[in-house]
Amino acid sequence: MKPLKPLLTLALCGACVLLAGCAPVAAWERGTLAKSEMALDADPLDSALDNHVYFSKEASSGGNSASGGGCGCN
Amino acid sequence: MRLLATTLIALLAAVASPLTAALEVGDKAPVFALPGLRPGKDGELVELADFKGKVVYVDFWASWCGPCVISAPLLNEMRNRLVQQGKPFEVVAINVDQDPEDGIDFLLDEPVEYLTVKDPKGMTPAGYEVKGMPTAFLLDSTGKIRLIHQGFKSSDIELIEAEVTKLLAELP
Repeated sequence: MKPLKPLLTLALCGACVLLAGCAPVAAWERGTLAKSEMALDADPLDSALDNHVYFSKEASSGGNSASGGGCGCN
Repeated sequence: MRLLATTLIALLAAVASPLTAALEVGDKAPVFALPGLRPGKDGELVELADFKGKVVYVDFWASWCGPCVISAPLLNEMRNRLVQQGKPFEVVAINVDQDPEDGIDFLLDEPVEYLTVKDPKGMTPAGYEVKGMPTAFLLDSTGKIRLIHQGFKSSDIELIEAEVTKLLAELP
């Protein structure tokens, strides 16, 4: 156990430093986060089309967060 | 091991957001005094105390908030209709844009007759413990919170108007 102690201390110190960066963003402070360029999916219509082309070519629906469960009916 | 557990618990406690008692229906609405948003239209300073004896709809909004585009014209229509009927009702919309110019631009597209004020520092929404945008607080004539409405879809206006009508009927 003894040789682990410095490592543990270091890990805890590291966690303290990293977790200090976690701050809740209040509802009224989300102006920047609300910008379209901040979205994970910048253009939902375009990605839906891409997705459609993909599963039509691959005959594999459902593996890419698309609706439906791979029944091939869409 | 005990030290580790204690430290981790202390760390989690420090990181977790402080658990405060949220504002509830029946609580007294926190007072505010905020500068008007639109120069020459909203006045220098708008205070909650100005609306004593009136039913007030305090709406927190921002230019980037999607549902606010829906709520602005509906609230405006309801407010104008009630005011024309001589009802003691007012809407006070608190803009929380970090740059109030964005809020002014928004109102050029969605002009409203009701009062709009600005709070770019977000002190008022913090005091009201706003959890999402938009959030509105309907206050009765004594300044007590009677309805907390989060989010907005167009059918919500009926529910809000029903509550406003109820509060107006309570007035002497």
